[in-house]
Amino acid sequence: MEIASHFIDLNTLDVTYLLVVGFIGGLVSGFIGSGGAFVLTPAMMSMGVPGIIAVASNMCHKFPKALVGAIKRARYGQVDVKLGLVMGVSAEAGVLYGAHIQEGIKRTFGDAGSNLYVSVAFVVVLAIVGSYVLWDAVRMRSGQAGEEKTARLARWVQSVQIPGTMMYFKSLGTRVSVLFTIPLGFATGMLAATIAVGGFIGVPGMHYVLGATSLMSSATELVVAFVMGVGGTMKFAWSGMVDIRLAMIILAGSLFGIQLGAIGTTYVKPHMIKLVMGVIMVMVLLSRAIIIPVYLADLDIIDKLNPHIAGGLKNVSFVVLIGALAVGAAIIFASLWRGIRLHRQELEVSVVQGHAIQADTVGFPTSPQLSPIGRFERFLVATDGSEYSAGAVREALRMAQKCGARVRVISVIAGGDAELYAMGEQLIAQELNKAREHLDAVARQAAASGVACETEVVQAGHIHEEIVSQADHLQADLIIMGRRGQRGLARVMLGDVTARVIGHAHCNVLVVPRVAEISGRHFIVATDGSRFSDTAAATAGNLAKLCHTPTTVVSVHSPSHSEQRRNESQRAVNRIASFLQQQGVVVTGQLLEGRSDEKIVDVAKAQNADLIVVGSHGRTGLERVLLGSVVERILNLTSCAVLVVRSA
Amino acid sequence: MPDNLAAHKGPQFTRMLVYGALSLVLYFILYLFEDEILAFTSQGRWFFIAPVILAFVFSFAHGNFTSYFWDTLGIKAKK
Repeated sequence: MEIASHFIDLNTLDVTYLLVVGFIGGLVSGFIGSGGAFVLTPAMMSMGVPGIIAVASNMCHKFPKALVGAIKRARYGQVDVKLGLVMGVSAEAGVLYGAHIQEGIKRTFGDAGSNLYVSVAFVVVLAIVGSYVLWDAVRMRSGQAGEEKTARLARWVQSVQIPGTMMYFKSLGTRVSVLFTIPLGFATGMLAATIAVGGFIGVPGMHYVLGATSLMSSATELVVAFVMGVGGTMKFAWSGMVDIRLAMIILAGSLFGIQLGAIGTTYVKPHMIKLVMGVIMVMVLLSRAIIIPVYLADLDIIDKLNPHIAGGLKNVSFVVLIGALAVGAAIIFASLWRGIRLHRQELEVSVVQGHAIQADTVGFPTSPQLSPIGRFERFLVATDGSEYSAGAVREALRMAQKCGARVRVISVIAGGDAELYAMGEQLIAQELNKAREHLDAVARQAAASGVACETEVVQAGHIHEEIVSQADHLQADLIIMGRRGQRGLARVMLGDVTARVIGHAHCNVLVVPRVAEISGRHFIVATDGSRFSDTAAATAGNLAKLCHTPTTVVSVHSPSHSEQRRNESQRAVNRIASFLQQQGVVVTGQLLEGRSDEKIVDVAKAQNADLIVVGSHGRTGLERVLLGSVVERILNLTSCAVLVVRSA
Repeated sequence: MPDNLAAHKGPQFTRMLVYGALSLVLYFILYLFEDEILAFTSQGRWFFIAPVILAFVFSFAHGNFTSYFWDTLGIKAKK
């Protein structure tokens, strides 16, 4: 078979060039969510690949790369799949519209008009967004802005309630109207169709407009890029424009890069992502601004340029473009190197000294709701009046009595309006009355125990969202609920509400099975060495101190784990055990081999423990299905209460 | 680095070799049948699915390989 005329022959130099550029592009994409693609199209064109083939092949390497990056960063709990898909779908529409505009401009003004449009789009967007991102990064770095906070615009966006359009996003921790996400996704798609890097709008948009953290925004952008990439590839492949060789060669380099970039995000502070993005954006802006006179001259808007000057400007522009990527990659490499070195030093210090948990690794949260320091002042108890909630109510009142906490008990009647009406007015009234009677009984119990308690029956379409939202509103320190529940009139054992609350809550969640009693016999702290476990350990320490309870620290590793991993687990157990000892807690440590959930539950049973404390990675939905959840499996296996501690 | 030597002995290293070999085979096939594959994937219309499937297959093999590659070198995410 003959190679079609529009595909070029490749030599070793071409392949090496593509591998290197692909690697650097992938590194930047893995770190800031996008930004590697803009240099690949001109790089291919410089080899003689026709523009349309370069764009199509770039697109075909982009979506698998984004997929691999998204999966990697989802493992670190950084991806909001739902937000990515919602933005991705509207971005797809933006891509189509953006391509349509491009075609129109090309028809009317020719190649020079099209190039001028692209360059002006670059300059305008990057000047506004890029300089703001860079300014914000520098401000955060110099300590003026302190911790990353939700922008004022995002706070306003989150406060707007438009009925029928609200959707919960875990990266935002609240419901936001899709009327805000759709234009943002559309603009991302339009920019992607114009300058090949939609992320220059998508990432700052999710961060500054919607209120996601910069880490979450850059990771979620990979999902958006995946959706856009699949759509774009199909469109170009339909016309036979994809050069699969170019796409796969770039992919070979970029997958090395994207893995490294994703790993890099776990070692840096949020401002580094903004810094890299800001620097790249401003340098790309410079690159495009340099070349604008050439296009203006081509369109006869200004006088013709000397061919040497025009050629020189083009070359300088391309070098600055490559330089943007190189500078970004250099910053990422430096951060990664420094981060890994510091992390190793921390591990060594913790082993040698065997003392308290390093403050850096605990990562105490700033939210008043996340208070491992030991604030147990406000509890939210969710009950459905069934026997499955009885343990939760009983233990909530007992703990509140001990801590002097205020308790708000809610009963959520499931089903949206349509569902409730379908039940008939009489049945609704019956259901509400039953819930009120139950809450009245709880209120009497609380009064008898001297606990300040308020109760409310709430109707909501999504039970878990309502519980999380009530906890947010109350600024609860703890949500207490049963392991299973009922839904509406159908008394089915579900348990998915509990799982969802754990996934979405911004505070700690105490799950109390029906028969469980927390009397302070023995606590189990499970650790996997992560910062989530460190936060859980800090909370467990405070509880153990309060109840004078002996505690066992458990870490479980799989038989397939390497020796290095086992040593890390042992160090984690030692570190937490010394920390708890310093708190005055009687503590023992155990390193076990096998399935985490089973071993932790076995230890709890052997010690006759009444509470297992675990850290939560806060995964929900598809990510939970894909990655599994040890916490959920523990909840299903154990008969004692489980405190799921949430990190910021 | 002693850490790396320990890691080399583990199943991680074996997985890296398996995915690396798979990835190498895929790229070798692409190199060997370059013209045929290019002609097949660029026919357009419903053949659009071919480059999409190939991209998924390559990213599965090579993505796993690159992940284990960095792991084996001791460059892992901070937990």
